[in-house]
Amino acid sequence: MTTTKHPILVVDDESEILFSLRGLLRQEFELHTAESGVEAINIMRRNAIHVLMTDQRMPQMTGVELLQQAREICPEAVRIVFTGYADLKAVIDAINQGRIYRYLTKPWEPDELVAALRQGCDEYDRVTQRRHLLLDLRDYLNRCRKLSGDDVLQFTGNDLLERIEYVLAADVGRGGLGES
Amino acid sequence: MQVLIADDDPVSRRLLQSYLQKWGYEVSAAQNGAEAWRLFQGATFAIVITDWMMPDVDGLELIRRIRGIHRPGYVHATLLTARSQKEDLVEGMEAGADDFLTKPFDRDELRVRLRAAERLVNLEQSLAEQNRILRETQAALVQTEKLASLGQLAAGIAHEINNPIAYVTNNLVVIRRDTQAALAALDAHRRGDSAEAARLEQEADIGYFRENFARTCDKTLEGLHRVRDIVRNLRDFARLDEAEFKEADLNDAIRSTIEIVQHQIKAKSIRLESESNPLPPVLCHPGKINQVFLNLLMNAIQACTRGGVVATRTRAEPGEGIVIEVQDNGCGISPAHRSRLFEPFFTTKPVGQGTGLGLSVSFGIVRDHGGAIEVDSEVGSGSTFRVRLPLKPPTK
Repeated sequence: MTTTKHPILVVDDESEILFSLRGLLRQEFELHTAESGVEAINIMRRNAIHVLMTDQRMPQMTGVELLQQAREICPEAVRIVFTGYADLKAVIDAINQGRIYRYLTKPWEPDELVAALRQGCDEYDRVTQRRHLLLDLRDYLNRCRKLSGDDVLQFTGNDLLERIEYVLAADVGRGGLGES
Repeated sequence: MQVLIADDDPVSRRLLQSYLQKWGYEVSAAQNGAEAWRLFQGATFAIVITDWMMPDVDGLELIRRIRGIHRPGYVHATLLTARSQKEDLVEGMEAGADDFLTKPFDRDELRVRLRAAERLVNLEQSLAEQNRILRETQAALVQTEKLASLGQLAAGIAHEINNPIAYVTNNLVVIRRDTQAALAALDAHRRGDSAEAARLEQEADIGYFRENFARTCDKTLEGLHRVRDIVRNLRDFARLDEAEFKEADLNDAIRSTIEIVQHQIKAKSIRLESESNPLPPVLCHPGKINQVFLNLLMNAIQACTRGGVVATRTRAEPGEGIVIEVQDNGCGISPAHRSRLFEPFFTTKPVGQGTGLGLSVSFGIVRDHGGAIEVDSEVGSGSTFRVRLPLKPPTK
């Protein structure tokens, strides 16, 4: 069991849903809730969020729209959408464009929902760890290049650095961690 | 084609029969009116040629009897008579005869008159057939429209029901989990192991449970009530159990129909203003009237942009009946489209959003109730549809 809880944000325009999910998730996660996209964005500006789960059908801002904005504010957050079948089209498009980690249908199975959020947190951890590893490797390579006058090492180092930058950038699109 | 001839004069009868058979008709011949009537009842004849003067049941009486029973398909009747005065003609036609042939008849005249009769019978048959097809098509159209609007609703209703089901299910899982944890902590207390009890309470966040248990149960019940209400509204709306005319308070009908489209209203952030004045009971087919409201409401919602306004109003018109208005501040109807509003399959909605049947079916339903639909509309500022219904449908 993890000692610190992952901060997650759940967004739904129905307060009953949020209340119900608070009951389910309060023990395992550090739970933030919002009843609209705007409120969610404010919360993300003030708090680090590891997993963002939103309803699709909300007045004013839809879930997919919120996730798109969230990507700018908090690119490291893993993005999940939960929705009724009627909204699947918009969600499938968003997933296909690589903007969403996964989707859950309403009504949800509580066990599955918790499992999906855990998975989201694991994904966050995994990508974070990878990012830290890559950043350390980048630092290390930069230092190596300063020390060495060797052309072959310079060349290999440049090539590696380019690949590291590429992987870091690509992770942003997947809902994982990106360049800060 | 089957022809029945009735003549008590054997010479004339045989002559008729032989001509007709030669021309390809199927002939049944009767010696008198009574026998002809018996034959007529036992088979289907499209053409009857009968002598006027016969004992007991004469030609006029035979024709009157034929006209008196209602059978599908027209029977063409020709009176064969020596009488040729105008009064005779009037009397015969009034009894229901279509044509006359004077005795002694001319062979060619008989032939052409028979052909004319045949043409009439054929025309009548094809008309009846076309009518039948029309009626079937119309019934199918009404059904299609109903299914189409129900289909549009189904997605919205599924969403309305899904939400409460989602949190009711979730709440029950939470209650079960937390109650079990609370009981485990209680067991630890009973054993006197207060350290373990405290750990269990801490782990399961029993404080939250204690504070929110009642609320969770209340919310769960509310959710179930919501599902119950949605289902009740659907049933009220569809009135599936009612196939007949029935007295109904149309304010209730409007209310349940509004509930049905609630989801569409919310999804488009539309403001709904509903003004219902007391209405006398209206003898109507409530399920069909609901279908009309549904159509008008859906059109109004679809005509509006996000955040638009839809208003419904009901009022009694003393001495006339009742009026229901559905008004929107949407796009309005262009004058060019105005005259085609009630035309089947006429639609300005994108493919897949409208069948073009809603208003034409609504028009038919309201007309069957003896009412009318009026439209005021201005492009850019919205439309008002007004349904006027009498308290009783016209007796047919």
